[in-house]
Amino acid sequence: MTQAETTIRNRRGEFGRVVEAVDRLAVEHHLAPEVVMDMQVALDEVLANIVDYAYSDDAEHEIRIRLNIHGNVLEATIEDDGMPFNPLESTVADIHAPLRQRRIGGVGLHFVKNLMSEVRYNRVGDRNRLVLRKRLTD
Amino acid sequence: MDLREEQVGGVTVVQVKGRLDSTTSPVLGERLTQMLGAAKARIVVDFSQLEYISSAGFRVLLQAAKRADENAARLVLCGVSGKVRQLFDLGGFLDLFSIAATRDEGIAAAN
Repeated sequence: MTQAETTIRNRRGEFGRVVEAVDRLAVEHHLAPEVVMDMQVALDEVLANIVDYAYSDDAEHEIRIRLNIHGNVLEATIEDDGMPFNPLESTVADIHAPLRQRRIGGVGLHFVKNLMSEVRYNRVGDRNRLVLRKRLTD
Repeated sequence: MDLREEQVGGVTVVQVKGRLDSTTSPVLGERLTQMLGAAKARIVVDFSQLEYISSAGFRVLLQAAKRADENAARLVLCGVSGKVRQLFDLGGFLDLFSIAATRDEGIAAAN
């Protein structure tokens, strides 16, 4: 299997299924722990961001996650039907502020951009499509 | 994620095993909040068995550190190495927390 697809609802309790899907793919393809951990962190940030900020209602929404390995790349495509949001255009966190002034906002996306080899965003119809790509070897 | 606690003199060492992400971090957050409610809490959080930490994990650590600051409690981290250290560094968190090189030094610093 070089591909896996998981659909979750916009609830934090569902993220475990994505973590497991990544772990399964990692075992089957003998992926390096470093690569897997970076992808797990990036997916946690992206999914938490969607659940917390993408929707203006309290309704249930579906988030689709596709995992692929092709060539030297582990790729995750995340699609949601939330408000248009391009994480590549968001402001970067002030990672030098002292404890009392420190806010966590922005750190997650800072992680995503730095841990991934490539991040692409598209708005496709009424959906956000974010593609995370991580090279399997340097 | 798995939490294991051990009392060493007046210091509670909390070992965090596994992954600190948006699913598991609230559990650590609740426990630290509870512990920091006690007078003069002395806490060492041992990350030597931690695989990785996402911003949700840093959020609960920041909240705990601020609370410790306000309550004159001590919160020291140890076992920050490998991938976990890389994430601390990437987020600019290394200077924000009291971090000891080893568990024993952490206990000494918290005491």
